[in-house]
Amino acid sequence: MSAIIVEHLTKTYRSYRREAGLRGAIAGLIRRETTVTRAVEDLSFTIEPGEIVGFLGPNGAGKTTTLKLLCGLLFPTSGRATVLGHTPSRREPDYLRRIALVMGQKSMLWWDIPAMETLLLHRDMYRLPDQEFRRTVAELSGMLEVGHLLGVPVRKLSLGERMKLELLAALVHRPAVLFLDEPTIGLDVISQQRVRDFLRDLNRASGTTILLTSHYMDDIQALCRRVLLIDHGRLQFDGSLAALAEAAAPHKILSAVFAEPPPAEALREATRDAVRRPTDDPRQVRLAVPRAEAADVAARLLQLGRVVDLSIEEVPVEEIIRVVFHAARQEEAQP
Amino acid sequence: MILRTLWRHVACNVAMTLEYRGAFLIYMLNTIAGPLVALGVWLAASEHGAALPFGRDQLVTYYVLLSLVVMLTGTWAAMFVAESIRTGSLSPLLLRPVPPILDYLGNNIGEKVIKLMLLLPLVLVVGLLFRDDLRLPGDPVLWLLFALSLPGAAALAFLLDFVIGSLAFWIEDVNGLVRVKNVAGAFLAGQYVPLALFPSWLDGFLTAQPFRYTISFPLEILTGQLAPEAAAQGFAVQLAYCAALWGCYRLLWRAGLRQYAAAGA
Repeated sequence: MSAIIVEHLTKTYRSYRREAGLRGAIAGLIRRETTVTRAVEDLSFTIEPGEIVGFLGPNGAGKTTTLKLLCGLLFPTSGRATVLGHTPSRREPDYLRRIALVMGQKSMLWWDIPAMETLLLHRDMYRLPDQEFRRTVAELSGMLEVGHLLGVPVRKLSLGERMKLELLAALVHRPAVLFLDEPTIGLDVISQQRVRDFLRDLNRASGTTILLTSHYMDDIQALCRRVLLIDHGRLQFDGSLAALAEAAAPHKILSAVFAEPPPAEALREATRDAVRRPTDDPRQVRLAVPRAEAADVAARLLQLGRVVDLSIEEVPVEEIIRVVFHAARQEEAQP
Repeated sequence: MILRTLWRHVACNVAMTLEYRGAFLIYMLNTIAGPLVALGVWLAASEHGAALPFGRDQLVTYYVLLSLVVMLTGTWAAMFVAESIRTGSLSPLLLRPVPPILDYLGNNIGEKVIKLMLLLPLVLVVGLLFRDDLRLPGDPVLWLLFALSLPGAAALAFLLDFVIGSLAFWIEDVNGLVRVKNVAGAFLAGQYVPLALFPSWLDGFLTAQPFRYTISFPLEILTGQLAPEAAAQGFAVQLAYCAALWGCYRLLWRAGLRQYAAAGA
């Protein structure tokens, strides 16, 4: 059975608008303009147990709203979500005991006291036998390298240390499904890497299903075999990163550095199927080449002179995603 | 399980309150100062010939114990719960398999443990200063009834506050409402003036309204103002208010969570 089943899920928010300034404030007392925002619209997908899925989209795309719907924090306007066989919005304790949500921008740790106090609170809330609890804390704090921080008041910790302890607190009850909303936001490169490694190890060792949103493509590339692209609350793509690259970027990036700048006419002839990209160095050539032509173009370049460096790379994921969202917006603009 | 979790919440809050013990000592000085000022005013009025239905010893006993009852039945949950609904900081609490009210209740009890330790010595000092007029009852039954009335009084005050704070699911700013409730509530609970000193034509209203059962009722028991039937009736009313407010809380939260959608919730 799938871990997460989402069928035609829709969530609309109602908000009030008014003009800025005193006049707007007074006018707002008499008449308020109601705006209905569709944060999530007709969203459908399924996630199997043990998958790590990346949830991508620009700010305001509906990613966090979807996570909140799946955690039972929000009631759907229509449609249905089923997680581990439960309807999240019912917020049954048996359901809440099997999931966790980590929000990079919201803390569940008690600020003024050591994290161990929060962990003990979780032990009692989640009814964890003490021995099992101690074993889990030892194991997870070892993986995250935070054992020495458990007795320090949380407010005295760095952001990276706090985030690791947030993860520890969220996982101490060993949830079957873990929702992560920007888990590496604000962390330095080393801490980001540590959190990524931890999540990958956790998924391998415990089979935890993970649904993750992040603006850091490194997170997505390192962890997710599958991505869901969402924009304006609608699903734009569901598949592997490789399939996304093929679908959205039918070319690769070919880069060659010559010992001497190659003859201009010969270079134009050799790269006629490709699109030149600007470079600062006259000895360097960067090209966007159709996938099927990449090898031929590279061979032609090698005949133009001595090549000291040559690489053929996929288009960066950021660029692919920009292309997908740009195309989706243009489609919306021209119905 | 719920009790164990509540106990752990209390323990966390005791630890947290200890981090701010200096600030809490100042709160307690403030808690004891109010009743002392009021006592001074009434004693002066009585010395200048004002005819009061309260004797000097009753006034002293009432006001010396007042700060203790005010502290033990005090509540600030409305502010916290409204803020967490408005800013979305309620969300982490909603993800746990226990009702969020436990968090606020644990905070209330945990702080009071520390406040009691800070306030008791202050009350003892004031008691010694007024020892000639302090008339503490010798009857253990009165003390027992007083002790029994305190949890009910604290629960009533807490639930009323929590219910008002929960209106933040619908109203963006409940602070005004909370302030009105705090001022009117303190007045009607006997925090400024003992209810016995109110005009007698208000008796029916004063007996029926809920605030009496948060502060005045325990002190009326201890100062021997209540006949056994009146005390029994008081306990029944206190319990009935608690049950009604519990029902309100459950209804408000069931409906409120359906539309909980704070920005960044």
